[in-house]
Amino acid sequence: MKKLLTLLLVLPLLTTCERDDLCPDSSPTTPNMIIDFVDNNIIENSKNVFGLVVLGIDDPSVFPLNTSVPEDSNLRGVSGEDTNQIFLPLKTTEDQTHFILISEFEIDYNGTSDNLADDFFTGNQELVTINYTRNDVYVSRACGYKTIFENVATTLDEGVDGPWIFQTIPQNDNLIIEDETITHYTFSH
Amino acid sequence: MKLLHTTLFLISLVCSVWSSNAQDTIQISTENANKLQYGLRIGADAGKLIRSALDDEYKGFEIVGDYRLTKSWYLAGELGTEEKTTTNDYLSVTASGSYFKAGADYNMYDNWYGMDNMIYAGFRVGASTFSQTRNNYTVYNTNQYWGEQNSSYESVKFGGLSAIWVELQIGIKAEVLNNLYVGINGQLKSMISQDEPENLQNLYVPGFYKTFDSNSIGVGYGYTISYMIPLFKKDNTKKKKEEELPENTEEDTTN
Repeated sequence: MKKLLTLLLVLPLLTTCERDDLCPDSSPTTPNMIIDFVDNNIIENSKNVFGLVVLGIDDPSVFPLNTSVPEDSNLRGVSGEDTNQIFLPLKTTEDQTHFILISEFEIDYNGTSDNLADDFFTGNQELVTINYTRNDVYVSRACGYKTIFENVATTLDEGVDGPWIFQTIPQNDNLIIEDETITHYTFSH
Repeated sequence: MKLLHTTLFLISLVCSVWSSNAQDTIQISTENANKLQYGLRIGADAGKLIRSALDDEYKGFEIVGDYRLTKSWYLAGELGTEEKTTTNDYLSVTASGSYFKAGADYNMYDNWYGMDNMIYAGFRVGASTFSQTRNNYTVYNTNQYWGEQNSSYESVKFGGLSAIWVELQIGIKAEVLNNLYVGINGQLKSMISQDEPENLQNLYVPGFYKTFDSNSIGVGYGYTISYMIPLFKKDNTKKKKEEELPENTEEDTTN
């Protein structure tokens, strides 16, 4: 009887351990920056970028990238994408994020497909720097906090090969990147 | 909930075994058996003490008390203090504060002569004052391109918060030794109002326990050990008269 009683007293204590709530996909959390590409001549018209490669970089001084693609390069296996919209993840640890956008990216085997050492890539590089202030906003018990990005400003560096992006247009003044269902910026090319 | 019911039922079986054992000794002993013991019953929630010892993220203490008003009705209340840290992968918050609950219990159990056990249902109004301290958080991001997300380890305290709720209780109290009672109860709560910390949420409210994002319901349980300070005894034989003249009975007995 005593054993039974002990069991009865201890059992509910064990079952009070909270299950781990999962953050549902439907909860809006830290947003990506959504950029649409449009035609520079007719801003209203969406226009695909061909062979687009997006690289996030920590240190902007690597721009412009050395075009050589040695065997162990992380550009190996990268293929350009034809698209009119990109989602850029912004750093939640810093007030600035750098991306290199390469259009018409292609790896040139330099006539020797068996020799990888002399390969290089072709394409037009652009350094895009996004500046913002971060604001951590509470979401829910399971999701914790998300970062939203305020006072967003974008700068371009065309590098040595000239520009392929001509204008960067925020969706509105005092843009806040929070809602992932809308476009935040328009790049014309 | 199912477990709770099962537990309550099993405890009641245990209690009834005790009761029937105790029955033999008490029934013979005295002609006072037909009188009801009135008094102030004071105790503590043993469950909270055990949990405080076992759970690093919990400290709690609760004093429980009730006072018999009539044959079946008791004034009842709880007074407690709790500190509970809620931690998951992205967030750690410590709730700390004290609370009191006041209300009444109705004994639904028909005791044998000389016995004084309860199977009761009751209600409470609860109020809590507390603080929430956010210990740390890490930003949630489904896009892991950059790997590490922003983390804050700065402890931020939101003080002066309060909450009010109503509560239903179902429980058992059994006299295991002379004037010594053990009890178990289950609690169903509904939040009426609460102060939320800015840019955060009450994950836990002292006295109300864990909150839920989707509704205002809370649940809890208690294991109590309490001692009845006997004050006076009243006859149990006037039951029929009391029912006919409920207003006069108190005057009758006190005069």
